[in-house]
Amino acid sequence: MSTAMLAAPFQAEFDANSQEFSFAGVIRPRSVDEIAHSISTFRNAIEEARGVLYINVKRLAQMNNTAFHAFSRVVLDACRARSDIRFVVVTSSVVGWTERMFRHLGKIEPQITVEVYDSKFYPGQSFVEDTSFIPILRTQTKMTWRHERKILPRHGMRPGIVMADICCGIGDFAVLVRKEFQPARIVALDHSKASLAYARDVAKNFGISDIEYSYGDASEMLLEDNQFDLVTCRHSLQIFNQPDLLLKELYRICKPGGRVYITNEKNSHCLGEPRAQSIQWTYNEVAKLFSHFEMDVELGPKSRRYLADAGFDDIRVESFMVTNLDGDPQDFADIITAWENVYAGEMAVKRGDPPEFIERFRQGFRDHIFAALHPKGYAGWPIWAASGRKPL
Amino acid sequence: MNAAQRQSAETKFEPLLQFEMEMGTFLSDWHHCDQLSTYMARMISHNRTDPLRHSNFFSSALNELLEVSFRGGLPEGRIGCAVYRHGPKERVKLSFPCPPGQRQFFREAVAKTHRNDAYARYLDALSTDLGPSREAILLDLAINFDAEIRLEEEGPPTITIIVDLPLEVIVS
Repeated sequence: MSTAMLAAPFQAEFDANSQEFSFAGVIRPRSVDEIAHSISTFRNAIEEARGVLYINVKRLAQMNNTAFHAFSRVVLDACRARSDIRFVVVTSSVVGWTERMFRHLGKIEPQITVEVYDSKFYPGQSFVEDTSFIPILRTQTKMTWRHERKILPRHGMRPGIVMADICCGIGDFAVLVRKEFQPARIVALDHSKASLAYARDVAKNFGISDIEYSYGDASEMLLEDNQFDLVTCRHSLQIFNQPDLLLKELYRICKPGGRVYITNEKNSHCLGEPRAQSIQWTYNEVAKLFSHFEMDVELGPKSRRYLADAGFDDIRVESFMVTNLDGDPQDFADIITAWENVYAGEMAVKRGDPPEFIERFRQGFRDHIFAALHPKGYAGWPIWAASGRKPL
Repeated sequence: MNAAQRQSAETKFEPLLQFEMEMGTFLSDWHHCDQLSTYMARMISHNRTDPLRHSNFFSSALNELLEVSFRGGLPEGRIGCAVYRHGPKERVKLSFPCPPGQRQFFREAVAKTHRNDAYARYLDALSTDLGPSREAILLDLAINFDAEIRLEEEGPPTITIIVDLPLEVIVS
């Protein structure tokens, strides 16, 4: 057992700019005296606040009744003394007991509302959580795995390691890694209950019982510090609106000397022949479309900078091209069809694009499919794989 | 549930993990509650559907029970904690030496978790009490963890609290 968490002090901080008081860590005092300073800070924050005070407990891993009661009393007393202020308690669906415990405060005082934080960091999740997208995620992993299985050992993968696959999606990558490299332990985490249910079902059907699938928020994980030899996070930084925040968490759970491995795209570099111009135009527009929804599908080549800024050293970056020549060209075509459906059929519509734009947008995907299936055609989807070592 | 049914249900609970230690040792450091609950939670959760979140929930519940025994226990004798499993439920059996005067208190506190007004009592304790009583902590387990709580009466000075926690249902 790691003792790091047990010894870790909790944090109780006030951000005056956002009028947000945050509790994080493990708060299990023997008496209120032990947390008197935090209680006092909390009281001062309430004194300072005008309008709404947010109470953020998203990263509160544990809080005993002594602490819960003490902080609750401060809020409840404030409600009675200050009719001008509202309290919004922000809980996490991941740390389920916070949702269950804090909800009662709203029953006692109507000035208190309890919200379950979920989607702010996942602008793209609704687009990929549709179960119709699942088969295509399988095909994507199948096509990228042909390349990744060769390059992963250069990024820290080896038998016997303890690894985490963050944003594991439907879990295929974890299953493939398990079979090919035999890690000692795999924790696979995602924030989609539908994807996890699918992953567990597949694992059960294959008789796999040693992958720990967990529902979690990649930007606020329950996982302890310094646990994993290798942390993988594939195709996910690019769909977070704050990739640096996610990298900070990946860094935190990685062991010193261990590595964090990320893959990302640069969609505007998707290519195909024939009909190259039409394909090029559409993928340039894909990048703009994602940018509209606060996602950066051009992140791939920026991986080195992101890893360096997050504090990693020994950064290794390489790229590979998934093509129609990798196995069955129809697999490639199926992926592009799924992209067309989601990007042109849902995202562009949601952005409010006119029909003529959507038609031209669709044409580029169709031309990419044509290139993939043409006997003399070539279609490519470039991916950047990068890893950095957490310094010892 | 009649005696035969109860006996049948009892035998279905499989033992998972248990510890025993001198009560004096346990009481020597408050952090034993946190350390034991975290360690035991991780051990028993590894093969649950979501080990991480199951462990987090279980640690919360067990810590409260250990804190109850820390605050109410006598320094002589031993504390014993055993965890069992049957389907989606974990059963915690916590035995510790309890002063004679507190036995009746525990009986009443446990009985209150079964009453229809348990939730109203819990809200009242939250909004009016200066600190959480052991009664409020048992109510917390019943309300926030869907726990079924009972006492097993042994000869003095030991008292045993039995708590069934359907966490697999809550977590999944």
